[in-house]
Order: sequence, then C-alpha cells, then structure tokens
Amino acid sequence: MAVEPAIEVTQIALTLKEQLPILQIVVPFVAAPLIVFFGSRSLTWPITFAASAISLWISVALLLQVADGGFISYQIGGWAPPLGIEYRVDAANAYLLVLISAISTVILPYARKSVASEVARRHHTLFYACYLLCFTGLMGVVITGDAFNIFVFVEISSLSTYALIAAGAGRDKRALTAAYDYLIMGTIGATFFVIGIGFLYMATGTLNLADIAERIAEHGGNRTIHAAFAFIIVGMGLKAAIYPMHLWLPAAYTYAPSAVSAFLAATATKAAIYVILRFVFSVFQPDFAFQSLALEFILMPLAVLAMFAASFIAVFQSDLKRMLAYSSVAQIGYMVLGITLLTQTGVTATIVHLFNHGITKAALFMGAGALALRAGSSFYDRIQGMGRTMPLTSAAIVIAGLSLIGVPGTAGFISKFVLVEAALDKGWWLVALLVVFSSLLAVVYVWRVFETLYLNAPAAGTIRQEAPLSMLIPLWIMALATIYFGFDTQLTLGAARTAAEGLLAGTTGMLK
Amino acid sequence: MADIFPVAFLYFLGAALLLLLPKGPARGSLGLLIPVLGGIMVWFLPEGLLWNVRFLGLELEFMRVDKLSRVFAVIFSIAAFLGNLYAWHVRDTMQQVAAMIYAGSAIGALFAGDLITLFLFWEGTAMASVFLIWARRTEGAYHTGMRYLIVQVGSGVLLLAGAALYHRETGSLTFEAMTLGSLATWFIFLAFGIKAAFPLLHNWLQDAYPAATVTGTVILSTFTTKLAIYALARGFAGTELLIYIGAIMTLFPIFYAVIENDLRRVLAYSLNNQLGFMVVGIGIGTELALNGAVAHAFAHILYKGLLFMSMGAVLFRTGTAKGSELGGLYKTMPLTMIFCVVGAASISGFPLFSGFVTKSLVLSASTKEQYYFIWFVLLFASAGVFHHSGIKIPYFAFFAHDSGLRPKEAPKHMLLAMGIAAALSIAIGVYPAPLYALLPFEVKYVNYTTPHVVTQLQLLFFSALAFAVLMRTHTYPPELKSVNLDTDWAYRRFLPRMINRVAPGLWSVWTAKLNFWQERFNDLVRSLHHTHGPEGRLASVWPTGSMVLWIAVLLAVTLVANFLSL
Amino acid sequence: MSQKRKEDPSEFSPLARLFLWADDPVKVNRMVYGLYAVCVLLFLADFVYLKTILVSAERIPGFYAIYGFVMCAALVICARMMRVVLKRPDRYYAPRDVESEPHPAADLDRIEHNG
Repeated sequence: MAVEPAIEVTQIALTLKEQLPILQIVVPFVAAPLIVFFGSRSLTWPITFAASAISLWISVALLLQVADGGFISYQIGGWAPPLGIEYRVDAANAYLLVLISAISTVILPYARKSVASEVARRHHTLFYACYLLCFTGLMGVVITGDAFNIFVFVEISSLSTYALIAAGAGRDKRALTAAYDYLIMGTIGATFFVIGIGFLYMATGTLNLADIAERIAEHGGNRTIHAAFAFIIVGMGLKAAIYPMHLWLPAAYTYAPSAVSAFLAATATKAAIYVILRFVFSVFQPDFAFQSLALEFILMPLAVLAMFAASFIAVFQSDLKRMLAYSSVAQIGYMVLGITLLTQTGVTATIVHLFNHGITKAALFMGAGALALRAGSSFYDRIQGMGRTMPLTSAAIVIAGLSLIGVPGTAGFISKFVLVEAALDKGWWLVALLVVFSSLLAVVYVWRVFETLYLNAPAAGTIRQEAPLSMLIPLWIMALATIYFGFDTQLTLGAARTAAEGLLAGTTGMLK
Repeated sequence: MADIFPVAFLYFLGAALLLLLPKGPARGSLGLLIPVLGGIMVWFLPEGLLWNVRFLGLELEFMRVDKLSRVFAVIFSIAAFLGNLYAWHVRDTMQQVAAMIYAGSAIGALFAGDLITLFLFWEGTAMASVFLIWARRTEGAYHTGMRYLIVQVGSGVLLLAGAALYHRETGSLTFEAMTLGSLATWFIFLAFGIKAAFPLLHNWLQDAYPAATVTGTVILSTFTTKLAIYALARGFAGTELLIYIGAIMTLFPIFYAVIENDLRRVLAYSLNNQLGFMVVGIGIGTELALNGAVAHAFAHILYKGLLFMSMGAVLFRTGTAKGSELGGLYKTMPLTMIFCVVGAASISGFPLFSGFVTKSLVLSASTKEQYYFIWFVLLFASAGVFHHSGIKIPYFAFFAHDSGLRPKEAPKHMLLAMGIAAALSIAIGVYPAPLYALLPFEVKYVNYTTPHVVTQLQLLFFSALAFAVLMRTHTYPPELKSVNLDTDWAYRRFLPRMINRVAPGLWSVWTAKLNFWQERFNDLVRSLHHTHGPEGRLASVWPTGSMVLWIAVLLAVTLVANFLSL
Repeated sequence: MSQKRKEDPSEFSPLARLFLWADDPVKVNRMVYGLYAVCVLLFLADFVYLKTILVSAERIPGFYAIYGFVMCAALVICARMMRVVLKRPDRYYAPRDVESEPHPAADLDRIEHNG
C-alpha cells in the first residue's frame, strides 16, 4: 500500500498513482500563474474550479489509500530525506486534504456570483489567482513532512490571504486595516514558527519531521527543544486564532469578501490546528507533551476561556459575519480543548470537530454572504425579516445554526458529544459541564439570528428576492452535509479515530 | 419485525403531511386519522424491544413495549385524538404541526428504552409544545413561552447530564428502575421532577398553561406532566422521598386554587395537585399503589382535558376565563356547563365517576403500607380538590352572579370532544374493569362497597356544605382581578430587581478595577513602544501593538511553563 | 342590568331552562336546605352499616363528614389570609405576562346567543 522509500537507491516514481502527492500541490500551484498568464476573465473561474476539483479527486484517492492506517511517503525530485523534501500522507492529513479541497470545490460555484458583486471586475483574475495560491498553501502545509517546507507554505497561504482580505475593500475600506492587522500578526506568528524550527534544527540537525521525531525520541528533550516547542505552539496558535491571539480574526472575516470568509473560516484555522496536532503528537514525543505544563495549565484554561469569552462577545454582536467570526474563536476553543486532553478520544474530538465545524461554518458564512448580496450588508437591522423574503437561504442558515449549537441530528452534535465523552473519560467532569454550558451561549447567539430572520419585519430598501441558484445549491449542499454527517458518522468519526490513533502512537507513526 | 417502526414517526410523518394539505377539513381529518392509526398500532404491538438503531456506538432502543408504556400510550393516543377534534376549527399551521410533533414526541418518549432516546423525545416535547404558547402571538405569550422553554430545556439538559454520568457509573444507558444516591440519579430525578412540577419546581406549569391558545392549553395539559409521571414510575418507583414530595404537591396548590382568578390557572393548580396523588402512588411503590398512580393518570388525562376544554370553550366564546368576569353562562351554554360538571364530578371522585375508582387505589395503598399521616393529607387534598375544581370552576363560570354575557353555545366539534371525554369518564367510573385490565399489575380491588361509597359521599357533601355556609356568610374569598405571588416571583421579579440593583454597583467596581489595570497595562505598553517602536506615538497602530504584546506575554508564559516542567 | 330584566327565558334552549332556578333566590334557598338535609342523612347513615376500620380515626362517628367540613373551612380561611400577603394587581408582571393583556381575537370566535 504505502510506497516504501528506498534509503540508498533513488526510486523514480512512474505511475500516476504514485505521483498523486505532488500533483495535489502542483495542480493548483501551476493553475494560479496560468490564470494571470491567460488574463482572460472568462477562463479564470473555470480554471480555478477545475484545479480545485482535481485536487479534491486526488485527495479522496489519497485518503482511500491511507484509510487503513498506513502512510505514503513521497520524495520530491527523488531526493531522500533528510536532504530532500518529503511529502508524507497519513490518515490525519489526508483527512484534512479532503476537507480543504472539498470545501473549496463547493464554495467556488458560490463564489462566482458572490465575488462578482463584492469585488471589482478588473481584479477578478488576480483574485482567483490569490485564491488558488492560498488553497495551495493550505494544502501544502498539511501534506508536507518537512518543517521548513511547512513554513514556506504557511507564508504562501498567508501572503495570498492578506490580498484576499484586502479585496473586500471595494465594499468596506476597513478591509484594508483588517488585512494590515492580519499581515502584522501573521508575520509575527510565522516568524515565531520559523524561530522554533530554527531551534529544532539546532538541536537535531535535521528539518524532516520524522527525523526530528526520531532524534528527540533518542536523545530526549533539552532546553532548546523546549524553547522550540513554546515558539511553535505560540506561532501556530496565532495562525489558529487561539484565544487571546484571535484579535486579527474578527475583522478579517468580517470585511473579507463573503466567499473568502467562508473558505478561510472553514479551512485556514483548521490547517493551523493540524500543524499543532502534528507537532504536539508526532514530532515531540507524546511523553514530552504529557510532561509539559504548557498544555494543561496554559492552553486548557485558554480554550475554556475562549469558549465563554468569545461566545459572550458573539452574543452581543450586531453583524452576522462578525458574530460568526467570534463564534469561530469559541469553536477553536473546543478543538484546542480536545488537544489538551491528550487522550485518543480527545484528539478524535478535535479532528472530527475540525471537519464538522468546517462544513457548518462554511454554510453559515455562505448564508451570510447570500443575505448580504440582497441586503447590502450583514448587519442584523439590514437582514431582519429575511426569513420571509429569502426562505431557502434562511432555512439553510437555520440548519447550520442548529449544527453550530450542537443539536442532536446535526454534525455539531457529534463532535461535542465526543468531546464531552473525552472529558468525562479523563475524569474532567467540570470541563465537560463547561462544554455543555458554553453550548447554551451558542443557543443564545444563534437564537438571535433566528429571531432577526423570522420574527422581525423586513428592513426597508432591501432587495426582496431569493439568492441566485448558483449560491443556493452550494449553500444547501453544505447545510445538508451538516445533517448527513449528524447521522452517518462512519466517514467522519471513523477517519478521525484512525487519524487520532496514528497521532497518539507518537513517533511510531512517523518512524519507519 | 421489519413492519414495526416507532409510533412517534407516524406522528412526525403526519406533521409533514399536514403541510402539504390545504387548511380546512382535510387537515382536520388527518389530525384525527393519525392518532387513530397510532392508537391501533399501540394496541396491537407485541411486548418487547422492537426497533433499535445504532448511533455513535450506542444502541438506541426506540420501541420498548411493556404494559406500563402501553397503557400510557393508549391514553396519549386518545388524548391526541380528542385534542385534535377539539381544535378542528383551528386554521393555524404552526399550532397544528406543533401539536402533532408534541404528541408524537411524548409517545416516542414512552417507548424509549434508553436514556438517550428518552432525552431526544424529552427535548422534542419541550421544543414543540412551546409553539402552542407562542401561537397566541402576543408579547406576554412570547415572554411566557421563553420562560417555559428555558425550564423545559433545562430539564432536558439535566437529563442528558444525568444520563452521561449514569453511563460512566454503570456502563449502561438502559432506562430502568434506579435508586437515588449518586449524582447521576439525582440529576435524572431532578429532570423528571421539573417536568412533574415538584413543589418549588412547579411554577412553570401555572405560568405557561393559561398563556397558551384556547386549544393549545388542552393539548399541553395532557402530555408533558404525565410523561414525567410515567418516567418516575419507570425509574423511581418505591422511592420513599416521592411520598412526601407528592403529599406536599397535593396540598399547597389547593390554597392557590381557591384564591386564583383565572379559571384556567385554577385548573393548572389543580392539575398540579392531582399529579401529587400519582407521585405519592409511585413513591409507595407497591403493586396496588403503582396501579393507582397509572389508573389515576389515565382518568386524570380525560377529566382534566375535559375541564380545560370546557373553560376553553368559555374563553373561545367570551374572550375571558377570569372568574371575576364570568357568571350566569348556563343560560346559553348549558351543554358546556353539563360537561364541565361531569369533569368536576370526576376530578372530585364522586361515585360513578372516574376519579372515584382511581384515586381510591392510591388512598388505600397508603393505609395498607401504614402511611397514616399521608392518608390524612390525601383525604384533605381530595376534599380540597372538590372545593376548587368541583365547585368553584362550574359555579363561578356558569352560575354565581350573572355577568350579563350571553355567548353562543360552544361549536359542535368542541361539544363532541367534550362529550366523548365525559362519556369515557363516566364509563370508567361505572365499569372500571377494562381500565384495570390495562394496568401493569393485576387489580384485586373492589370499589363499590357500602363504606367506601358512604364515606366518600360524606366527605364530598360536607365539603359542599362548607362551601355553601361560607358563601352565605360571605366568608368565601370573592373572585378579584389580581395575580398571586408564587415561586415564579423569584425569577420574574426578585432576580431581575436584584440584578438591576447589584449590577450597576458591580459594574462600576469592575470597570474601576479594569480601568486601573488597563491603565497600568497601557503605561507598560506605551513605555515599551516609546523605547522600542519608532512610530510608538502613532495611535493608529495601537490595536496591532497590543495584539503583539499579547503574543509576547503568551510566549513568555509558555516558555516559563516549559522550563518549569523540565 | 335593566336589559337583563327584559330577557325572555323562552329564548334559551330547553336544557338551559331546566336550571333557571339558579336565578331565583327562593329556589336557591330550597336547594341549600335540601343540601343540609342530605348532609344530615349521610351523617346518620354512618350508624347503619358495618364499618371496615383501617385507620383508627375512622372509629369516630361521621369522621369523614367532620373532616371534610372542618378542613374545607380551614382551607378557605387560610387561603383568604394568604391573599393578604400574595395578592398583587393584575398588571404586576406586565408587559411580560398574559394576565394583563386581552386574549387575541384571532384565537376566539365570540358570537352572541341568537346573534
């Protein structure tokens, strides 16, 4: 199943199947400059969509290969690690690859009308090029097995994200400050991350994750490695918007074009969470993580704080997109909480929540974008009463909203259920109760949306027309997915369990 | 057993089909058909575990059929039928769908074989029923509904928490007899207790039921509380604590009922009192007592529904159900009056009416197990019930001083629904054997003995005598336009007041403290900026700057923590 | 009130006419005396049949009668005293309460008799 990397002899992969890992990155990466090269607006969207769809197909093929717990190692240019760069696909990141490419592929049809209304026409080619670069970056972060390569891909995705957020300036100039803030913060985060990698290189003399893991396993930790751990967690925590390093996120998601908000909310922070998972469990030994006070005494309280503080802020928001952004911060709290439990069920909860929250938030941001298309903005006083004028959009928002709360029968319930189970297994019943109580806050802020949409009269001056079909269909695909994955847990929970098993096995998952 | 599916799904399907049909007779007919089909299905179901589904590694039992769940399902089906018949005239989609889902969830909960399934349907009843209150579409109803929903959902959350803990303790999720003791069972007990309107947890009932629509109250009165009675009978039969809780429940509502003006709220208080009899029966826990509790629940659903229907009809025709506004209606609503009197006689336990043959099971169980004090309390409560439900309701609505109102008789479908409920109440009272055959245990109890009939008549007639004397001496409290304080005052008045009073103080302290620390923090950041940042004085980079500082602080803390743990 | 006087009882249904005694103070008095008589008879009935004693209080002649009367009187008097403490105007909880608002007309069908 897995392609065994040859140690001495450079093996040239020949079949398409064996080239899949690199194609995963190359396809969107090459498509981006192609768009600019052709410069034709009519070709822009089809190329983007094709690249994303092919990526999705590749990622599914990869997931199927590793679903039973194996892994694929691909050496770029035939250079064996630690010299060369290695792409390494196992259940954990194949799962993420599918999530990111699937969401991108569903969002793109939606983006066509949405972007047309929010971004000036002359910017469309560059917009989609940036989008593909961002997509490439996120996929690269997830697929690569090389520490420095992660940094490179993080930068690719970040730089293009800054541009994508700034593209919202046509509608609201504050998009520029939001992009600027994110640029500063993102750069600092990436810098911390690269410093951490530098420390690791200093201590182990290699950049390949598997090798680093092996060396740490052999020699144990020292001060340098501990410092590296701190830098990497904080650096990536910033990209993941772990509370209180979330300050860039609300503005960025609020002012970015709706399609970008939907895409970023569903994928960008998830990729960062994946990197944290990978480092905490695969690179540093689990023993190391267990010993570290950082997780239990810093990240865990912060996660709980995020669940409450961000939810409270979300309750008082008067703009739907901003509310969703704060709720994302709270939801990231749940994911971080799962990591800090340091148990297999906890990590399963994190991974399955990555997926479930990804589709839920994508649906909600798409819904918000559709409302904004007709109402002009997503402020509550503009979108009120739209349950009557846009029944289909509003109904989809209701479904996704229920999933955000974690109502049984929706995807959100599954992940919260597993998280509570994990907390109880560990004996942290107080934490379990807090998870349940913070869900009550979600009830409040989601209820406010329902109330706005259904119990108020429509505002004057809004266009009373349902969203176009090209936006409704992707929206409903996501909304129905939240219900589907609320019942069929085989795909999500099953894959998440395999992934968590692999991660929790620690270095063994990484070493040959 | 592939042809068996959960009865609840039939109702949910019905709710969906309702949306497809045009408003009017077609919908009304479907509303009658579904309970009939459901009832037939319930009647012929074999016993056992009939339908389950695997979910998240849990085995969810949707159809556990035994005698206890069947008898409740039978009466729920009848009540759903009567409620929908009574609501034949309603053209409001929201109410029709809510009533259907509500009835379906309640029946689904009866057949739930595990705590998770129970929880799902438990919350289903809460979510669906609140729409029967909101259907009134006034500001007051909206707030009342919110209060109701919070309490009901709170009960569900407790149930889920209890179920999770229970699973941890015992490794099982089966919903079966439990003993109080662990945190888990207390949570579950409390969840049931909220829905069963235990003393101090009761006030949602009196708050919400009179706030629903004319037909909504009739439907509400059936399911939620009796579902809780079923759950208690299943989970906590023989828990001695329940005897005392039940005794208090039979007592305190009758005092409130005497001075309450809104006759539908009087009925809500008396409903609470009747639940007390069932809770006592469950607490005693012998075969006789449990039979009594279940039989009483069965008869209770019919006569309490009947009473709510008659008061609903009065409200429907006059626009009010307040004792102070009503009187003399017998002249133009004689049939409604007669049905109301039948309901009143049943709840009071007159011989030949249903209350007589069911309540006595509980009373005699209390003497058999030598709970004499409880027996005195229950006897008092029986007399009190007659006083406020048996006399007060018909008297103030249909007789008393003439209000001058001359409303038309209730519409035919309402009369029909009331007629069926009245006929069933009398039938049970005259010939209880078929009901006894449905009960979970064999009944060896003879109701119609000379002492029993004579003593019961003595009790009731002397209560009536007391009423007559008090009325003639003008000692009886007149019906006044007023509200009476109950425990809801704590969260509707006291708590908001306290918050309003304390919050500004706390807020100013909080902001003062916050300002102090913020100033210190700002000073720190400012000085850092002054020394380190060339553009430190520019206000525009402030937010970014503070973000960066946060990261630095976090990094420092993480580093320290890491080194400490080395 | 004056309107009521002019009312012709024959407009009411035959069923309702059976209860018209309730408006006649003389007949109501007769009914009350009837009630007294029934009570006396029931009290006396206690001496003519064989009691089954489960609770010792049942040995007292007419126990149920006395208990019913005394407790009901006590109930009403207690409730009346409770009212002193508990009574509030019906707009007390307004506007977050249904007590102070009229029942919405859409839910009703108010038709006058013969109207």
